[in-house]
Amino acid sequence: MTDSGAFLTALRLSDSMLPVGTYTASYGVEQYINKGYIETGEELGELIKGYLQGVIGPAEIVALGHAHRAAAAGDLDGVLAADDRLGAATLPAEFRESSEKAGGKLLDLLAETDNGPFGTVEVDGIVADYRNAVDEGRTAGHYPVALGVVAQRAGLGCREAAVVSAYSTVAGLLGAAQRLGRFGHTDIQSQLSRLFPVIEDVCEQYRDAELGAMYSFAPLADVMGMTHERADRRLFMS
Amino acid sequence: MGYRDVAKVGLGGPVGSGKTAMVKQLVPRLDEAGYNVGVIANDIMTQADAEQLQESFAGRLPEDLVAGVETGACPHTGIREDPSMNLAKVDEFTEAHPELDVVLIESGGDNLAATFNPELADFFMFVISVAEGDDIPAKRGPGVTQADLLVINKTDLAPYVDADLDVMERDAQAVRGEEPTLFTDCKAEDGIDEVVDAIERSVLFA
Repeated sequence: MTDSGAFLTALRLSDSMLPVGTYTASYGVEQYINKGYIETGEELGELIKGYLQGVIGPAEIVALGHAHRAAAAGDLDGVLAADDRLGAATLPAEFRESSEKAGGKLLDLLAETDNGPFGTVEVDGIVADYRNAVDEGRTAGHYPVALGVVAQRAGLGCREAAVVSAYSTVAGLLGAAQRLGRFGHTDIQSQLSRLFPVIEDVCEQYRDAELGAMYSFAPLADVMGMTHERADRRLFMS
Repeated sequence: MGYRDVAKVGLGGPVGSGKTAMVKQLVPRLDEAGYNVGVIANDIMTQADAEQLQESFAGRLPEDLVAGVETGACPHTGIREDPSMNLAKVDEFTEAHPELDVVLIESGGDNLAATFNPELADFFMFVISVAEGDDIPAKRGPGVTQADLLVINKTDLAPYVDADLDVMERDAQAVRGEEPTLFTDCKAEDGIDEVVDAIERSVLFA
């Protein structure tokens, strides 16, 4: 069982109050709504199920799992490899940018609050090395990778870290949709609850996968992400 | 009886666009049309504000059907992501007054991105003022594009702020498609009857 300190970190990392800017990203959801493709809660739930099965699981969770194992082994090159691969698998530039900014902010926050809210996380060794690599431009600092490293150092197992990452992404997408479209709050919660088994499935299926097995397949989401770059109205960064 | 059993009309819009003035115009008209009305104002800052609102409707609405809901400095959240405290207030209204027909819910002053949760408002009107600039509709804020009714208020000020009402009408139509837009001047009571008609047609006759 996870100790309470690690569990607190898991709660903190899943909390929308965590100031790493994830509320500014919609990963294409804004463009789906601009185009009128998503109007009901049901359609929104189906879309996010597609994200989980096509991107979050096979790309983000694979990267996070690899980063978690590499952090446990003190293997910085392994962490950087996860970063490289995830960047290569993420086609829309804005998706990469949103993920990199949030990852960088998470590492900055940790460095600032070493003795504060993240006191249980060792800001030394691999976390510091990884942050330096991001600062020096040697690696991108994608959010799932940063989360994997930080979670491992905070004592969270790979399963918990994967669930934190997938849950946060799903909650972020649902929140973005709620701010952009007309979805009721109970409808949003129904969809979230409907997505729980999918979150569990993709975390189970992909967290131990080899980096070489990583893929991302959500062509319409990629197209939405790319057309968003030139959208008439933009409230989100992606 | 609960919040699902009563019609709820949301009024959103930027600070100073005339939401409260609109509520003060709508209540007597709805009351005289025979509807039992309640009013919830979000983000009332002082008890004096609440009392002032109750005083406006004294003799017309029971005092306990005029209430404030504080939204923790997050006006968006109170009407969109988590409208539970507003819905709890509507529940209180309906428990005490099962005869209630409609509740007007005025959002705290906000920006152009504010929208009402469809579970909180059966009908959502967004009130902007000509004095905020005649380019507001063209900005395509979600409040402007998603509202069931866009109200462009304070038309009397247009000549003083160089606002072109034709431009506002054209842009509103371009960004809202077939959804209606009305011009009002709460001070001279112009256009208010049309707003009441829109509310009646959309949620009270339905």
